[in-house]
Amino acid sequence: MAELDDIIHQPLRLKIMAALNALPATSGLEFSRLKKLTGATDGNLGAHIETLAKAGYVSVEKAFVGKKPQTTVTATAAGRGAFARHVATLQEIIAGKQS
Amino acid sequence: MIDSRQAAAALADIDDIVQRVRQSQLYELASLAAVWWGVLVFVANVVTWLWPIYAVYAWVAADALGIGGLVVLRVMNPPQHPGGAAASVRLLLVFVLFFAFGYLCTNVIGHFGPRQLGTFWPLYFMLFYTLAGLWFGYAFVAIGLGISALTLFGFFYIGEAFPLWMAFVNGGGLILGGLWMRRI
Repeated sequence: MAELDDIIHQPLRLKIMAALNALPATSGLEFSRLKKLTGATDGNLGAHIETLAKAGYVSVEKAFVGKKPQTTVTATAAGRGAFARHVATLQEIIAGKQS
Repeated sequence: MIDSRQAAAALADIDDIVQRVRQSQLYELASLAAVWWGVLVFVANVVTWLWPIYAVYAWVAADALGIGGLVVLRVMNPPQHPGGAAASVRLLLVFVLFFAFGYLCTNVIGHFGPRQLGTFWPLYFMLFYTLAGLWFGYAFVAIGLGISALTLFGFFYIGEAFPLWMAFVNGGGLILGGLWMRRI
């Protein structure tokens, strides 16, 4: 019986992973765009990205574009796999295979 | 463990965010295309205003560069779904039909003068923009209707400076609309 992934299951982290998984494998989202998409605050988003990064689910790349710092977050292969399993588990719960 | 209602809510959240990401990607590409066309349309209108005898060359160049820019955008951002190649061919056909019908209206059925041409093409283009917006997002509708209204205003109330008006309304409108899309 598959288990829900506790790291991904938190609502904001679920949104972050869903957004990153909607992109092609090598593409990421800028912090500001992710913030707009999820409706999170800077601090909250930063903390949850850190949790996902520690789990190895996302990679974080910081760079300067001109003089402006830019943070890009990308889902790793492990993160994509974990997200797919998490979604499959949610679907199983709805189908009544788990409760 | 959660119940099926909570699981359904989580999946709905996922669907919602995926839709927003796709919308955001679409706006990003559309924004680049709008700004590119905006610059070309601005320049072509200014050329039409300053040197009317070169207008036809300016517009042919603007259309060629505009479509070339769209092709480059498409090549650099290939569609991710399996039917992507077929979608690209369909998009190309849309442009061929678009220009063919426009040519038929302005040069075969009717014989439009410069002012009518300067009004017809933006209105025709913005009609498609607005219709596309009914499926792809309200920003297209807002930009399409806004530019159409200002184009009609110019047609009826702006005199000799109509091409200059259109440079700012159509060219400037597309540039501003494109930049606005990036902020949504």
